[in-house]
Amino acid sequence: MAEFAAAVYQNEFLPVGGTDVSAIVSVTCTGAGTAGQGSGGDAGEIIVIDTSGSMGTTAMDAARRAAQAALGQIVDGTYFAVVSGNGAAFLAYPHVQSGPGMVRMDARTRAEAGRAVAALTSGGGTAMATWLDLTGVLFRSVPEVVQRHAILLTDGANNEATHVLDAAVRRAEGLFQCDCRGVGVDWKVSEVRRIAQPLLGTIGIIPTPEAMEAEFAAMMQASMSRGVPDAQLRVWAPLGAQVLFVRQVSPTVEDLTARRTSVNDLTGDYPTGAWADESRDYHVSVRLAAKDIGQEQLAARVQLVVGGQAAAQGLVKATWSDDHSLTARIDQQVAHYTGQAELAEVIQEGLAAKAVGDEETATTKLGRAVQLAAETGNEEATSRLRKVVDIDDEETGTVRLKRSVDKAAEMELDTASTKTTRVRR
Amino acid sequence: MSTDTATACPTCGAAVTPGARFCEGCGAPLAGTDPSAPVPRHEPDEAGPISRPTNRQRVTAPEPAVRPCAACGGEVGPDLYCTTCGTKAPSPRDHYRESPAPWVAGVCDRGVRHTRNEDAMALFADPTPDGGRAVLVVCDGVSSSADSDTASLAAARAALEVLVPPLPRGLGTADSEDAAAAAVLSRAAAAANAAVIANSDPSSDNPASCTWVAAVLEGGTVRYAGLGDSRAYLLPDDGPGVQLTVDDSLAQELVDAGTPRTDAERSPTAHTIVRWLGLDAPDVRPRVGSARVEGPGWLLVCSDGLWNYASEPQALRAQVDAAGVTDPEGLALALVEWACAQGGRDNVTVALARVGSQWADSEVREDHG
Repeated sequence: MAEFAAAVYQNEFLPVGGTDVSAIVSVTCTGAGTAGQGSGGDAGEIIVIDTSGSMGTTAMDAARRAAQAALGQIVDGTYFAVVSGNGAAFLAYPHVQSGPGMVRMDARTRAEAGRAVAALTSGGGTAMATWLDLTGVLFRSVPEVVQRHAILLTDGANNEATHVLDAAVRRAEGLFQCDCRGVGVDWKVSEVRRIAQPLLGTIGIIPTPEAMEAEFAAMMQASMSRGVPDAQLRVWAPLGAQVLFVRQVSPTVEDLTARRTSVNDLTGDYPTGAWADESRDYHVSVRLAAKDIGQEQLAARVQLVVGGQAAAQGLVKATWSDDHSLTARIDQQVAHYTGQAELAEVIQEGLAAKAVGDEETATTKLGRAVQLAAETGNEEATSRLRKVVDIDDEETGTVRLKRSVDKAAEMELDTASTKTTRVRR
Repeated sequence: MSTDTATACPTCGAAVTPGARFCEGCGAPLAGTDPSAPVPRHEPDEAGPISRPTNRQRVTAPEPAVRPCAACGGEVGPDLYCTTCGTKAPSPRDHYRESPAPWVAGVCDRGVRHTRNEDAMALFADPTPDGGRAVLVVCDGVSSSADSDTASLAAARAALEVLVPPLPRGLGTADSEDAAAAAVLSRAAAAANAAVIANSDPSSDNPASCTWVAAVLEGGTVRYAGLGDSRAYLLPDDGPGVQLTVDDSLAQELVDAGTPRTDAERSPTAHTIVRWLGLDAPDVRPRVGSARVEGPGWLLVCSDGLWNYASEPQALRAQVDAAGVTDPEGLALALVEWACAQGGRDNVTVALARVGSQWADSEVREDHG
């Protein structure tokens, strides 16, 4: 049985007239078990492979091997399916015309699926909305599947209008989670992020086809380790208070503020998807009406809710004080993750500016990114930034854009921009 | 019953919610305004084990399933914060009330500045004041010592236990009665001292310590005893009030040496007490005394959290009158709130018994038809 624990990091002391409370709530899950093996219901996995014409022979070969590797990681008994997508979506496996579009994994179905994957060929365009819609249809066809996860592989830009893709993503939101990977450098990070982010999935670049197999195996393994099918972050704030934002800040930055579903006037749920044995940090910020010196109140109750029950709770407090030494401190965790969230933002904004030729903005933003990465000790971000800019001075964020940049390095900087480091506690 | 259907505050006329204990408009207590229909007192702070009824005959209301929030009336959650406005509910130790009988009540409160409540009280009362007995015990834990919050509570309760049985009469003469009563009060102090020691860590550099004051009302006589600077006062409705106990403090030593009281109590070391209960106490024999109750009034036992803001009996009496409340719990609460409004620099404990004849005339008689 999975167990959750929550820890709160904050400076609860507010100065006279202070209104804004910030806290990092760290939620840890242990004993999650394996997907679909608990009493909650079955797990389902769908592998979505881009088979558009742009997938050349090498990429297609690698994609077939990657899909095989993923199939190998799916635990027996798990429902699964394979979708091939180009200008339309096709059910590659199981071979059914009607009824449930997924089958349970066993030795026979794994072998059959392997043969189906081996027979995939490339051709046609790219219409990801249709891929997502078919994936949704397949999941819905097997009601006993309660934990739904897909892996999507693409190699190129989508041929559909943005609003068509967005509409498909909205239909999928809350139905299944989707990890997305792009192979090569001809796909658009911003486009795929529009899928991965709402569908609570990761995004990554696989620069060379050879790396695909290991990446797919790892992704599927990670999904199989999520034994808690679904959970919500529930945030209560007092009457008259305003929740300024709720965002996941570790392992990646994901703003959840707009994804609130109301439980009651004071309480909202934010989606967190499935959980493995892991720890995630959330940054919650609440604005309160200022109270008198010495008054203490609760600023937020932050719970992790599984199956409608609070599995862990953290209390965010506020105490008004006239002691400057208490109120002036900024909690180390809050400061660290505030910096990391800004880091993700300026990297993305900097790269977007660079893409449209606004070098001045790009230089400023990426310079700030270099500065933040150094301040928050995110060495991985620093090394990724080094491939895109020449750093004159880390401390002041003085950088120059590199004249010739490896496209893959730039895309990697973009996809990994939301990854955060932890600060030692 | 009139109180059940009343929709207007009898004091200010504002609309009140049925079942409300206090008027939202003027703050006047609404419960118990009709003595023929005692409104069950819901005790928000009795959810914890801290406050127990000391009178077996007391009518206790069923424990409320949820505690109401003092700030907004919402529900207090299991985490002790209001589920509506987030206000922290006082822990049972930080604020508790006792009312062993309608004529005796006390409020023990953390105050404003201190982070925990090291004051404590324990009360006993017969159901009616007609010849009835009341025992009021107040302790004030010394903040610089460890565990003084648990020690002070244990001390107050231990002393109460000794003082609940009627005092012995000795040989029946006045001297003999005084001596017998003094012996019991000393025994109560010794029991309180033992309780403090039992609740202190002997290896501590600052073992738990507290002041102690007890007042026993029996047959129109108040017998009192004290160690430290918690006090007992007798505040008649007519005529001058009197501070019964004498502090064991440096301020008092200054007063004894001729310094005016107001100056002495303003001196930087005024609150340094020279006698207390605890492992490091030099002497735990209390000063004892007695006084006759001549007319209607209040027996008040309190910690310095109250008298810091009104030391002279007439100043306290003025606050009693200003409160405009006649039920003991309402008055105790009003005095605690007044002390908090003055700054609440220390924990505040106020224990009250309505003494003399007026109570019987005006209210209790109706109870008995």
